[in-house]
Amino acid sequence: MRRNLLYPSSAQTISATRRDFLRGAIGTLSAASISSAALASQTASVLRPTQKTIVVTFGGGARDEETFAKDGQENIPNLLHTLLPQGTFFSHVVNAGILGHYVATASIVTGSYERFDNFIAQPPPNPTLFEYYRKGLRRPASDAWVIAPSNGFQRIGSSSHSSFGPDYGAGVILPKRLLAAALHNSKSLDADRLSYLLQDSYEMPLYQPLQTSIDHELHLDTLSSTLKLSVDEFLQHARSLDSADELSIFITKQLMKQHAPSLMMLTLHDMDIAHSGAYSLYIDAIQRADRLCAELWSMVQTDPEYKDRTTLYILPDFGRDGDTDPGGNGFQHHRTGGAMARTTWMLALGPHLRQNTIVDRPIQSIDLVPTIGSVLGFSTNSSGKPIRELL
Amino acid sequence: MTPAQLTPASFVSYSAPARAFAIEHLVLLQRLPLAVCPSFLQQIQNLHTSFPAEQEALRWQCTALQALPAEKYKQLTAPLSTLALTPALQSMDWVNDPAAFITELTAHLWSSGQLNLFRAAATSLFAAVPPRETTTHRTVFVVLGKDATIDPRKALRKLARNGITLTALKHETAWLDIRSTLQQRATDAPYASWYIDGGPPLPELTNSLLHAIAISYPGLSPLRERVLQRMQSTITSGSGGAEAMRTNLTSTSQQDVAAADITPDPILQRFYTELFTQSSGPQIFSTSFVQWTGRELARRAQPQTLLLRYTPRQAYHDLNELVTTTTPTLDAQGAFRDAEMGAYYNWIEMDRITTKGKLTFVAWIEDHPFAVILSPNAPTATTAATPMPLSEALHNFG
Ligand SMILES: [Zn+2]
Repeated sequence: MRRNLLYPSSAQTISATRRDFLRGAIGTLSAASISSAALASQTASVLRPTQKTIVVTFGGGARDEETFAKDGQENIPNLLHTLLPQGTFFSHVVNAGILGHYVATASIVTGSYERFDNFIAQPPPNPTLFEYYRKGLRRPASDAWVIAPSNGFQRIGSSSHSSFGPDYGAGVILPKRLLAAALHNSKSLDADRLSYLLQDSYEMPLYQPLQTSIDHELHLDTLSSTLKLSVDEFLQHARSLDSADELSIFITKQLMKQHAPSLMMLTLHDMDIAHSGAYSLYIDAIQRADRLCAELWSMVQTDPEYKDRTTLYILPDFGRDGDTDPGGNGFQHHRTGGAMARTTWMLALGPHLRQNTIVDRPIQSIDLVPTIGSVLGFSTNSSGKPIRELL
Repeated sequence: MTPAQLTPASFVSYSAPARAFAIEHLVLLQRLPLAVCPSFLQQIQNLHTSFPAEQEALRWQCTALQALPAEKYKQLTAPLSTLALTPALQSMDWVNDPAAFITELTAHLWSSGQLNLFRAAATSLFAAVPPRETTTHRTVFVVLGKDATIDPRKALRKLARNGITLTALKHETAWLDIRSTLQQRATDAPYASWYIDGGPPLPELTNSLLHAIAISYPGLSPLRERVLQRMQSTITSGSGGAEAMRTNLTSTSQQDVAAADITPDPILQRFYTELFTQSSGPQIFSTSFVQWTGRELARRAQPQTLLLRYTPRQAYHDLNELVTTTTPTLDAQGAFRDAEMGAYYNWIEMDRITTKGKLTFVAWIEDHPFAVILSPNAPTATTAATPMPLSEALHNFG
């Protein structure tokens, strides 16, 4: 039991530290990095119906220590110096729920702290953002997508709620499953070389390389009908990539090109390799996520369907255990439920949002759904509150 | 069953020393709330394969809690008693299988939103146990960075903030100095001196550190491979996820992996086995192994002298693949970054168990003139650029 104890550390202290240095970092940025057109658009409060929304979560939990705190800043040059000046940064985002990736991500998309078993793939009981959106605004199925790291997330696109459900849900693409199916189908020698993209971490509900033939068919169908890619094309792209997160970004790009969906959620999960205790691999994955966020924003800005009408929200699902919490082993896990593991940040960018702005007041990760609902004009039934700075 | 219903007969399946200990502390056990009682029983059950320091710590804790004035004890345990536990939990056989109860309890506390309550209540209860002040001086050397390229401006920065950084160490004699310091400071107390190596152990150390228990990653590879085989069979069965994997590992005993092949000592058999079954990472990476072993030693054996050596680890591919890979390539640079953080955690853990002012901690980058010393005599966040051998640095700052 001793092992479960902690030195209580206050979430406020954590946030205050981060905020102080952030002020310093932003103070050195030049106002010229903000375009005048973007500044002018800040005042636009009524949004066009073609608004696009992209939510990126860092599934894996990333601590302040390795991101926005002093030592971490070197890992996130793009978030800090390119994206933050163009957006509103929330330095104190609390996740008061269960710190398991599937259940926490489900809580972010339902706007309610879900309480189901993290390790069983099941639809959340509360309606998801995608269902509220599609039902409320009468949007077609091709308009909402989730790109998620692994098995277990396959049910995140819609809830088991009787008034909603799969008819209003998002399409869910699991890039690694897709790759597994493509490899299986092509029977190519690439299997060995590409299988490194198929990693799954200790904390996920997957360790199962086996798939049914129905699985394969479904995935191959997604490849051809949704992404408009042949197995060969897909494998050729995959061959040039380093990691599962890069594959997710590639699929996002393909979805944007083929369907220009208005609502997308993407989870970057490489950093959860931290569970293996190898700090360098965790850092590599954070640096990669930083680069991929910038790539995504640049994809948005160069795509006429998305340019100047897209709001991007980036947030870790939660943090990880603190270095000195005796109940944990520092960055490795998120098991103690301590303040470090519960406190994280969010960066929001979009034509209607304030730039180069830091918000210190605490918000919760379940506030995102009602916020997006208020911005886009559909109602949600979340226990979170709309974030006024983003409306 | 409730803790109040415990009687001497409840512990009939326990080993003799465990039963004796439980009966000796029966009054305390009967008064403990159900949410924490099984944790005590788990430690008692394992008493015969626990290190002397663990046994003393448990005895100290039980005695201190039992001696609390009734009113104070009631007030401290009240929040734990009010936690809502399910009938399923209450009906578990937590006397004979406390580990299973603790696993279920943890899941229940998370899902019912009571984890924070539990943490706060358990913290207050254990805060009532006075720290065990000892005169033990502890000496730790961490050697890391073999074959890596070092940036002296950033190397070991987390440790450097808490100690003195030596940038002109005469490192040619560093191994000799480490050896002689450990020889001087080691005692013949059982399980008090340790040498852990992420690679093959260095013969000049194993031959000279006579009191130290030496273990290495390659030396424990038979155990590690048996654990990996069990992981592999969980993976290929396709029947379970991470949870099944963890349950499978934590229920693996020293007998299951034939730890007796490595050592005849049952205390070490359990310790070595749990390094791979109660962890995630040491099965795959030698850097995780060294960090985790250092952590577990601090928590369990509480060493007086400790030498931890991090070496290049296998390069990363994919977890599922690593489990089966037999000829990995090495990543010295990644291992160095892992080890920097590992060394920092090793310091935190050793500092936590040492009476203030009694810890000397040295991290040296192997084959480089670069080290950090943290000790009562070392100024914090300072750099010394004067050339000196490690022995002199230890004399000045150790
Ligand atoms: Zn995780």
